[in-house]
Amino acid sequence: MADPASGSGDKSVQVKLVLLGEAAVGKSSVVLRFVSNEFQANKEPTIGAAFLTQKCRLEDRVLRYEIWDTAGQERFHSLAPMYYRNAQAAVVVYDVTKASSLEKAKSWVKELQRQANPNIVIALAGNKVDLVLPSPSTSGANSLSESEDEADDATATPGETPGADSQPESLRQVPREEAQAYAAEANLLFFETSAKTGEGVVEIFTEIAKKIPIEHILASTRGGAGRPGAAGARPGQRQEGVNLEENQAKSKDACNC
Amino acid sequence: MALTPRSRTPSRTGTPIPGRSPSRLVVPHTLRPTHSLSNLHVHSHGSPSAMSATLPTQSTSVTAHATPPTNHELDSSASSVDNVEGILVQEADTDVDTIDEEEGNAVGYIAADPESKQNLRDQLRRTLSKRQSNADITSPRASQKRRHVDVDEIAHDSAPAYPPREYFVLTDAGKPVFTSRPGGDDSEDLSSTMGITQAIISVFLDEGDKLRCINAGNTRITFLLRPPLYYVCVSSWGEPESVTRSHLEYLHLQILSVVTATQLRRIFERRTNFDLRRLLNGAETFMTSLLFRLEFDMAMSTSSLRCLKLDAAIRSRAAEALAPTSKMKDILYIILIARGSVITLIRPKKHSIHPADLHILMNTVHAPSILNSPASASWIPVCLPKFNPAGFVNSYISFLRKGEEEAQQADSSGGESAETPTRDDSRPHNGDASSTVSPERSGKPNTHKLDSGIALVCISGGGEFETVRTWCDAVTKKLESEATLDAISDAIRSGSTEYSVSELGIPGLRHFVYKSRSHVQVTLPTFEEPYDSLHEKRRIITLYQILHDAIHAKSGQEGPLKLQYIRTERESVMGWITQPFELYIALSPRLPKSAAVGAANAVARWVKKEEGRLFLRDAPVF
Repeated sequence: MADPASGSGDKSVQVKLVLLGEAAVGKSSVVLRFVSNEFQANKEPTIGAAFLTQKCRLEDRVLRYEIWDTAGQERFHSLAPMYYRNAQAAVVVYDVTKASSLEKAKSWVKELQRQANPNIVIALAGNKVDLVLPSPSTSGANSLSESEDEADDATATPGETPGADSQPESLRQVPREEAQAYAAEANLLFFETSAKTGEGVVEIFTEIAKKIPIEHILASTRGGAGRPGAAGARPGQRQEGVNLEENQAKSKDACNC
Repeated sequence: MALTPRSRTPSRTGTPIPGRSPSRLVVPHTLRPTHSLSNLHVHSHGSPSAMSATLPTQSTSVTAHATPPTNHELDSSASSVDNVEGILVQEADTDVDTIDEEEGNAVGYIAADPESKQNLRDQLRRTLSKRQSNADITSPRASQKRRHVDVDEIAHDSAPAYPPREYFVLTDAGKPVFTSRPGGDDSEDLSSTMGITQAIISVFLDEGDKLRCINAGNTRITFLLRPPLYYVCVSSWGEPESVTRSHLEYLHLQILSVVTATQLRRIFERRTNFDLRRLLNGAETFMTSLLFRLEFDMAMSTSSLRCLKLDAAIRSRAAEALAPTSKMKDILYIILIARGSVITLIRPKKHSIHPADLHILMNTVHAPSILNSPASASWIPVCLPKFNPAGFVNSYISFLRKGEEEAQQADSSGGESAETPTRDDSRPHNGDASSTVSPERSGKPNTHKLDSGIALVCISGGGEFETVRTWCDAVTKKLESEATLDAISDAIRSGSTEYSVSELGIPGLRHFVYKSRSHVQVTLPTFEEPYDSLHEKRRIITLYQILHDAIHAKSGQEGPLKLQYIRTERESVMGWITQPFELYIALSPRLPKSAAVGAANAVARWVKKEEGRLFLRDAPVF
């Protein structure tokens, strides 16, 4: 499925990634933040699916993400298999201020685990954390101190001001712990993100990049030319070696190319 | 006096289909008298539409009713007929508004409260039948003459302002589906409007009749019934009824493009009070942009295509690059678009494309969510209702050049994207904002981009995105390496994709619209002074629509006209139809009629000479 023309001769590895999730949770905004480092308020809903690419450096490798940003509307649901069929990675997005969106996310995860490529790397992303203050109990080791500042900066609307304690808390409908526990149980990468502030967005793609069995992809796209032995061994090592909790800041620098 | 009822000839445009009208249309179609209060005309199916605007007439009119205009040396051979083409469908049914099918007539509206409904019905009946007595006083008149009088009453500025038209879509159960009204569709006001609309329509349906429009003063409310959906337009612009009807028909097609006719029917068979908004969620922008487009797009009003004026060599170079390879299966159409106009269109040998499908597609392609997306490509399911109302095709859309730079270029060249709705961001209030091409235009927000940019669109029946994308990438590279894209960009930048009416050098000619009937394409110059303000542009387009309506007898006139000439205070306009073309010209009001005829001939000759650049005459088929 790889496009031979765009290999450009270097070590760039193509990774097909699909974004799924309920309508209006911010899938396109997450991608826009990742691809262009921009944010648009009041984005138009995606129609069908949009195709984007972004390169991402990871250590000595260059990954080229081929991203399918799908529409969340119910009428497009039946098209989803077309996009995840050959995907190596999926980001399932929900909205932390909307409990039903996590339920939808869970059903997407279930569908992916049942029907997608068995090796698919799935990340669960709880978007729009800028709308809820990081409460002391939930801000774990995973949040960067820096991102908390950003969240504060982004609180332009009255309901989100740090002073109005109760309101932001009431906006949150999905406790971080709940989603995290589910992610652990279903073996997913987990992030809380804000496409608006940028919090956690690059991290998703970096962690996916670390977890993707790159050698396996290389081997399969080169056909017989690869080294199947290496491909079999390396990904396993990699997966064991990855510690999601470490090097957050570093990886952010590394990936923003 | 102007409130005369129309002639009672059966409508030709909305033909009742007795054989296909089951349960609802129990009463055989009769020429029932129209009912009207002193200032309320209700035109139901039996009576052709009326123009009941009531301002005193200040204009004069000369109409040649199906008379060969021999004494004016009309040169109808100025453009030859060549029937070999067939890029676009050109049968009679290209006019969207002539299709009046009764598909799915087995409707069933839900009467929440039968008693109140009955009351409303009785009330309506009582008030509506008041008129019958004075109808006899006013009706015996030469119908033809009266029609022309009415046309004239509309023809001059009966609408000193053009308040936004309002559009509603509701289900036959009275549930709101879409409204053009800004500020959302959850207001109480809206649901009562929908309720009343549904009730009024059902009063007529109960009698086996179909409500076409209500004229109230200068305002006309047009109804289009496409069960399970009802479409309503409220306008006081003074345009013929066929115009708003065709808007509603386009709106219907746009909805079908999102859900398909089959899906729609099935849903409402299961649940008559289904809330269609759930399914159309996110598709409202299509309808909003379609309505913008309908306001100014002469190609849509004439059911034809407008292609980009371009050097024939560049066009054919692009076409060659687009011809698909044999391994590309299931390809339906490949279209290259710039500035909202078609550059070239590749199609299978056996499939012509229907203009209405093309317009729906163009509108979809230019939806903000696709145009403003940073994505390199979009892949969206679309139903092309005239091609196949039952299923979706996939459409790959890739903007090869984005709109922003084009918008700036347009400003620098002084060109205005003729009938495109790009500058219509000022629509609600700003009647005459864009009177000159000025720097402040470039300062306006991003709606400029609506129709600019160069896009490659590939419609395929299959779901093989990767194949299509790989191929389209190769096509794009080819277009780049052969400098075709640069040539198109240069042409746009230099302004040569548009033209001014002054290039024709015809004294007194201010503007025109020429439709080649064999190519099913239109060409028109930019709207320049005095038609460069929104208000004047709306006025002249409405005049063109009146001519178009008359020469096609779209509003139930007795017969089509060959030629119609209308003089208003500010200009004279003439519509003329011949075998090879239709022509609408706007001239200085001081010119004598004979000069108008001379100008029309000169335009036809000029178009003939420039045909190669103005029209898409051939493109590869596969």
